[in-house]
Amino acid sequence: MNAQALAYFAAGIGAGLTIIGGAAGIGRLAAAAMEGIARQPNAAGDIRGAMIVAAGLIEGVTFFALIVAMLLVLLK
Amino acid sequence: MRTPLWLLAAVEGAAPQAPAKGETNPAEVLLHHVTDRALFRHLDWGRLHFEPTKHLVFFVIAAGVVLLLARLARRSYREGGVPTGLGAVVETLVLFIRDEIAEKNIGHDGRVFTPLLCSFFFFILIAALLGLMPFPVYDPSTGHFGLVSATSTGNIAVTLGLAFVSFLAMQYAGIRKYGVIGHFRGIVPPGLPVWLLPIMIPVEILGMFTKPFALMVRLFANMLAGHMVITVLLMLIPLMAAIRAAFGVAVIPVSLALALFIMLLELLVALIQAYIFTLLTAIFIGMFAHPAH
Repeated sequence: MNAQALAYFAAGIGAGLTIIGGAAGIGRLAAAAMEGIARQPNAAGDIRGAMIVAAGLIEGVTFFALIVAMLLVLLK
Repeated sequence: MRTPLWLLAAVEGAAPQAPAKGETNPAEVLLHHVTDRALFRHLDWGRLHFEPTKHLVFFVIAAGVVLLLARLARRSYREGGVPTGLGAVVETLVLFIRDEIAEKNIGHDGRVFTPLLCSFFFFILIAALLGLMPFPVYDPSTGHFGLVSATSTGNIAVTLGLAFVSFLAMQYAGIRKYGVIGHFRGIVPPGLPVWLLPIMIPVEILGMFTKPFALMVRLFANMLAGHMVITVLLMLIPLMAAIRAAFGVAVIPVSLALALFIMLLELLVALIQAYIFTLLTAIFIGMFAHPAH
């Protein structure tokens, strides 16, 4: 296996791991937000706003890792 | 793997500087689509030599549209009445930024930073929306005619500039309220044991820079990723056609439907990223304006 194959290999595994992390984070966030809305339907608007911000933060960190994976493939 | 060149060129936007012959590597086409490149040949105005690049042109267009939007929105107030049409839309967004983002997160000083936050919001929103809209481009020197669209915030230099302005605003907020010495003393929470200071001071100074750094990479990656996904989905057509022409035809509806879905998602992402950049800037400004909590 040469260096380029290793880079593709690493990028594939890295992208997969990134998605696992991002999905776990956003999944937990959505579960907690839905529970909150179910308990307090009045606060649904505030909870939704806070949820979008937190989802954006999680997504941002996920994108850091995805960019590293992309660089492995594109700039070999 | 041979891929039909004209299909790749169509996917890629048939730009004036189309990929050279033999450049059929999908990764190279993808990179070519998202990286900055010269849109026109050299423009020579007397002693000034310009080579406007894709992102530069769309950056200027976005800035111009934001200015125009603000002017047109102001015009609807002139008759002294209730704003209608465009003015009402802009007013709703500006009021949202002032009341829900600036004043909630910065406090009483929120009004001072509202113009800056509005600029961030409208610029990021419009720059992202421009990237979803194809523009016809004609290059007289080569005779190429094509469609070009670009998101200038998909360039890390542009987001670096935005994040730097945001960093300056954070420092300004602290210095304005507490003075230079008070601001830099305030980055460490008061009442810490002395032996913790060697750890806390570097960590807090690092934190000062990681906040805008995160803003920079988040916006850049979000704008880049959407375009990459759309390109990859459209590139499925020539890649499948390279195996057998019938496969390429069969994958067209699937590919177009998926690309359309991602484009609709991008509309949402444009709004959310503009909101998040503005909100986080406001939150960080609030942190420096009220360091105790």
